[in-house]
Amino acid sequence: MADLSKAGTEYAPMTWEVERGKIKELAKAIGDPNPVYLDRDAAIQAGYKDTPATPTFLTVPMMWCGQMPDIINDLKINFMMVLHGEEEYEYYQLIYPGDVITGTPKITKMEEKTSKSGSKMDMISVEVLYTNQRGEKVAKARSLLIERK
Amino acid sequence: MAEQIYFEDVNVGDAMPGLVKGPLQKLQFVMYAGASGDFNPLHNDDEFAMAVGMKNGVISQGMLVMGIVGQAITAWIPQKYLKKFGVRFAGMTQKNSTITVSGTVTDKRVEDGDNLITCDVIAQDENGDVKITGNFEAALPAKAKG
Repeated sequence: MADLSKAGTEYAPMTWEVERGKIKELAKAIGDPNPVYLDRDAAIQAGYKDTPATPTFLTVPMMWCGQMPDIINDLKINFMMVLHGEEEYEYYQLIYPGDVITGTPKITKMEEKTSKSGSKMDMISVEVLYTNQRGEKVAKARSLLIERK
Repeated sequence: MAEQIYFEDVNVGDAMPGLVKGPLQKLQFVMYAGASGDFNPLHNDDEFAMAVGMKNGVISQGMLVMGIVGQAITAWIPQKYLKKFGVRFAGMTQKNSTITVSGTVTDKRVEDGDNLITCDVIAQDENGDVKITGNFEAALPAKAKG
């Protein structure tokens, strides 16, 4: 059961160097044939500096930096009972290969809710604001995790 | 290269060009695990998935389905114009599902000099079961005046 007193907690920042190969790998795994994600020349022709990160690329630092399991442990959430309820991104600028992005996960809200069927669950909102190597805001990610009880 | 899209080309009620993908194979879940870093066995280990109640074995990462919705969006509205993209995961996606993404423009406005559109999106399987609902917002260029 989630420890609701952890609302407001900030976790250690995670830093991730964005590589062209990883952008391409994620696009390939999705099965997205859009050449702007796969080929630098095609991206430049389409008006980009390089192959931009895909819309859901920020899941990569979140998962590969290994922060999520630590956060779930610290919040005393039962990993087996967690559902990913919602995911939302706000984009402030494009993310390109060579960018070094840093995000600090913050628990913005924790609350217990009762579903229509009467079962209880905890709703946990995690927000990560990402900045780049120049200290500029690049994006914000918000995830809603649901722990069934 | 895709044709340039302008604010004037998009109107409330317009349908987003749809996308059909599938059937989604377990191999794709494994590729997505490696790419994204989501190694939850629910998405790559049939025995594990069945032991926790998934009668057809592994299910897709929700983020893979969101990625497919992102593919549909950016095939139409280039990444550089995308401002917001949010989804609610409405149901689990079984392996061998075929996912159809569709969407409708719900709003169009000029705000602080930006030409904004909002579009609802939905991803459904071959039975019409909803996997994702959401929306995105984009700022589009206007055609040159004159």
